[in-house]
Amino acid sequence: MEHQEAIGISILNMIHNRSASGCLVRAQEILTELKGQGLLESVGIELETHLKTMLKQVLEKNQDIQEIFGRKEVSYYYSVRSMTEAYAGILVWKSEDPLWLIAEVVRESSKVYPSPVPVVSFREPPFDLTLETILECFKAFGEGREYQDICQTITSTGTIFLYSSLHLDSDYAAMLAEWIDVGQADNP
Amino acid sequence: MGSDNRRHEVLAQTLDLTDASLSFSRREFLLITGGMIVAVSALEAKGAKEAPLIIMDQAGGLVISDSTKCVGCRRCELACTEYNDGKASPTMARIKISRNLNFGPKGLYAGQHSEGNWGNGLVIQDLCKQCPHPVPCANACPNDAIVVRPPTNARVVDLNKCIGCKMCQRACPWEMMSFDSDTNKATKCFLCDGSPKCVEACPSGALAYVAWRDLTDSVPPRVVPTAIVSPEKAQTCNECHKK
Amino acid sequence: MGKYGGWAGKVLRVDLSTGKISTEGTTEKYKDFLGGTGIGYKVIWDEVPAGTKPFDPANKIVYGVGPLAGTGAPCNGRTAITTLWPTCWPSPLVASGHMGGQFAAELKYAGYDAIIIEGRADHPVWLSVSDGKVEIKDARRLWGQGIRMTTVEINQLMGPEASVAAIGQAGENLVPMSVVINSYSHSAGGVGGVMGSKNLKAIGVRGTGSVRIAGNKEEWEKVVKLHLSILGANNQNVVPNVPQSWAEHYNPGSRWVASAGRRWGAADPSIDTGSCEPHNLNRIAYRTNNAAFFLGDKAWQYTVRGNGCTACPIRCHTMLKVPAVSVKYGIPAVGQNTCVGLLFGRSFFKTFPDGPKGQTAIEACMVGMHLADDLGVWDNYGQLQRDFQELYYNGVFNSKVREKEFKGYSWDKYEQGDPTFLFELLPKIANREGELATALGLGTGYLLERWGIPEQQWLENHELLYWKQGHPKHHSNEDAGQCGVIINTQYNRDAQCHSHSNFTRNGLPIEVQKRLAAELWGSSDAVDAVGAFKPMNVYKARMAKWSILRKELHDCLSLCNWMGPWVASPLKERGYRGDDSIESLLYSLATGDQMSRQELDKIAERIFVLQRALTIRDMGTKDMRTKHDTIPDWVFTDPKDKDAFSKGTIRMDKEDIKLAMDTYYEEMAWDKETGSPTAAAYRELGLGNVAHELAKKGLVP
Repeated sequence: MEHQEAIGISILNMIHNRSASGCLVRAQEILTELKGQGLLESVGIELETHLKTMLKQVLEKNQDIQEIFGRKEVSYYYSVRSMTEAYAGILVWKSEDPLWLIAEVVRESSKVYPSPVPVVSFREPPFDLTLETILECFKAFGEGREYQDICQTITSTGTIFLYSSLHLDSDYAAMLAEWIDVGQADNP
Repeated sequence: MGSDNRRHEVLAQTLDLTDASLSFSRREFLLITGGMIVAVSALEAKGAKEAPLIIMDQAGGLVISDSTKCVGCRRCELACTEYNDGKASPTMARIKISRNLNFGPKGLYAGQHSEGNWGNGLVIQDLCKQCPHPVPCANACPNDAIVVRPPTNARVVDLNKCIGCKMCQRACPWEMMSFDSDTNKATKCFLCDGSPKCVEACPSGALAYVAWRDLTDSVPPRVVPTAIVSPEKAQTCNECHKK
Repeated sequence: MGKYGGWAGKVLRVDLSTGKISTEGTTEKYKDFLGGTGIGYKVIWDEVPAGTKPFDPANKIVYGVGPLAGTGAPCNGRTAITTLWPTCWPSPLVASGHMGGQFAAELKYAGYDAIIIEGRADHPVWLSVSDGKVEIKDARRLWGQGIRMTTVEINQLMGPEASVAAIGQAGENLVPMSVVINSYSHSAGGVGGVMGSKNLKAIGVRGTGSVRIAGNKEEWEKVVKLHLSILGANNQNVVPNVPQSWAEHYNPGSRWVASAGRRWGAADPSIDTGSCEPHNLNRIAYRTNNAAFFLGDKAWQYTVRGNGCTACPIRCHTMLKVPAVSVKYGIPAVGQNTCVGLLFGRSFFKTFPDGPKGQTAIEACMVGMHLADDLGVWDNYGQLQRDFQELYYNGVFNSKVREKEFKGYSWDKYEQGDPTFLFELLPKIANREGELATALGLGTGYLLERWGIPEQQWLENHELLYWKQGHPKHHSNEDAGQCGVIINTQYNRDAQCHSHSNFTRNGLPIEVQKRLAAELWGSSDAVDAVGAFKPMNVYKARMAKWSILRKELHDCLSLCNWMGPWVASPLKERGYRGDDSIESLLYSLATGDQMSRQELDKIAERIFVLQRALTIRDMGTKDMRTKHDTIPDWVFTDPKDKDAFSKGTIRMDKEDIKLAMDTYYEEMAWDKETGSPTAAAYRELGLGNVAHELAKKGLVP
């Protein structure tokens, strides 16, 4: 059906374009866009179900289109041509919960490199959190079960780093933070 | 119908170079044929063995440069000669950076406000403008060795004809002609037949390959060129430009 | 046309005592040593007898480049300078310095692979090399001038394209802590005084020739593009330092600092470094901004652009324009350098009013570069500045220097972090004015001796980073545990080896590094995460050997060891693998001399072992293990007294390091007890005559 094809192509283009500009796409946004293009007029009441089917088809037909789920069972779409899964993950966290964003980034970094994360980096792209937001998040760290593992370490120049105690102990995190902030420049 | 017949006649006669008794001017010829020919041969060249070549057609493409982005790495020069000639030779490179790298195009005598690594950092990249008619290097060549090569219509040295006299070097106001000391022949930017190697090689994207436009009025010349036109060509010029 | 491509074909020999100028065939005489330090060590071995001192006329300086210099091979703009080293203490030994810029390429285009300077001129001279025309010229008018003026004057004589390597007042005054500089900011440490001792003010080179690529030009283009495709940013860091949409990984410690919003702020118009997706080879030059990396985000607004050596797309030098400094200090607003050269001025000060990454620190860097790169003062990889802080704040200056002289310095300015202090200090070092400046100019070893300070104090101090023989560590255990320690024992100056640290700092997750390490050195146990070091194993010794050999190879081919080797890459589709054979691919195609990776590494080993032999010969002992390959005490301590091999420390263990050295000597097939190559080891590398000479003196185990 030509009409279905047109919808499919529209969805695909939207995901490609948004990914290329470094953004994810939510199902809701696709719905709005398709409505705006007048492509859903003949579909009738069950828009959401129809959309779900269309999306599934797009995913099946196009290897580069991926679906990623947030915490609240919201799904996002992106193209691996422009964006890695890791980056998409950051964007999901950012749009859902900055606290969760910081925690997940810090945990991942503490585990994988391993490396603590300078707090100031969360103010820069792609995180773009405000100072107020970050300070709010600080309150939650160290308290409550969910964020107990997120800890601070401060270097000799006063730079604050965050790390997860699940993966780094305090001495190790302190040493690594000092190395990144001061040591590497002293040993150029 | 009359003008069409005339057109056929002209073309037929053009192809027959031994017929020296033609009754129309160069200019008329160009007007008749629409001026869209690549080069003009002198139809009334008395005593000439071969008719001189004068490039008329414009180039299709051009390499342009952004000096703010040039980081002075010289990879463009190296790509030009390594990938085309199998040797690394900035002296022979058809894009020219090295002469401006330290002190800018004006060299050491520019006083306080020089460019280049020792001045404000700006590296001016010198590029062939693929000049429109009249093409200085081509017109200076005594052997008509600079020709137009499709599909880019770049002005290119025909190595079979070049005798290495270096008149073309003297003629270019921007000193863009190169000389290959291994072959003893001139060489110049030929746009790598549409995929310029320098553009590909630049690590800062300072070069671009674009549709041709006339830069001969906007880029200051480096030298006052020595422009000498041979008698045969002079005749052609005169005929074409006569009212 | 010569038999081989790559090489220019001639080595230039200049005897400044007699004025004799001659040439030798490069491949006829030196092919087994490739170029660069290879030719350097060979000349020193054959022609400079043991017991010669750095400033004797009998010492020689070899400016060597390799077959890849001047080509389009990425990262090839390096000249290696080999000579007897003035700051090597207690007795001088052979070492090499390196300078980038345009000099190496220009030398090749002039038709030379190396310049050997011999003897001593009886008045100041400079060497003019203009294609085939070589002349020794009078430099009396240039003598006494800084490097900048000297360079400009020589360019006025030779044309604006000539590349000039010059010494400043420091080198003229035989200050051991002195450099030679070409192309504005590219210095080779340690050799300025040797040139000064020969009355050689500068070498000016102009070349209009070419370097022939022997292999098929399409093949060459492919290999060069392969090399470009696996490049990262400076120091071959292969992940960005903030998340990028195209990147799976990122690492805050990475030198790949390009990102949307980070602009070359002083360019006109300013340029966004943006997303540097690694397949886009037209954006490589934006990845690195060492000024921003070292001086903080404030440096972005002052960045004009990157700069650096011929043919290198990385541009590790940053050109900065800081208008305030011309008003405040009367120096040019534009300055440029990288790493230690960039930090020269800042490193002296313990503190600045606005912190280590503030405006004043940047201004101190500008002042430092302006002075040091003109006077030609060397800082011995930051040891000068660390010593300075130590000696001041512990009252040593106060006690060793006469009161009148001591009070002549504006110490209040120094303590406040006022960059104008550098105007007092650096010219004095260059001109040997006063006890303080003279002592500092000698280099750490001779300074300690002069002032009766036991070297032991420096060997125990965790902050001074001193290693041995008057020089600091250079990427040791803090970067690569035992591998780094081994490497730092092997040279007669700071190790100048980055093969290992480029790998461990590449920014990839430790699991990926381990996977690559397994392929390269035999096991994932070859590398540990920094600060979580594990006990020694044979793979770490293999990595150490590989690191050293590749450094020598790079110094001989003219490839930059601050970038290579290229065994990791930013490409996910390659599993982040680089190419361990890229050197041999480039070499084979450029020269037409087919060599495999292993064969080329063997030549590198020959060159390194010759360096070893020279060290043994000139120390007059074969007991390298205890007399030369020493490790400072601080390596075995920790400020918090954490145990070795616990997490959060770089502390090494004495027994484990003993094992490390054992294992390394075994890997090298040297005698374990002495750490000296055996006769068999020499012969295996074609150095049988070397073994013979050493054996005569009882220096072969």
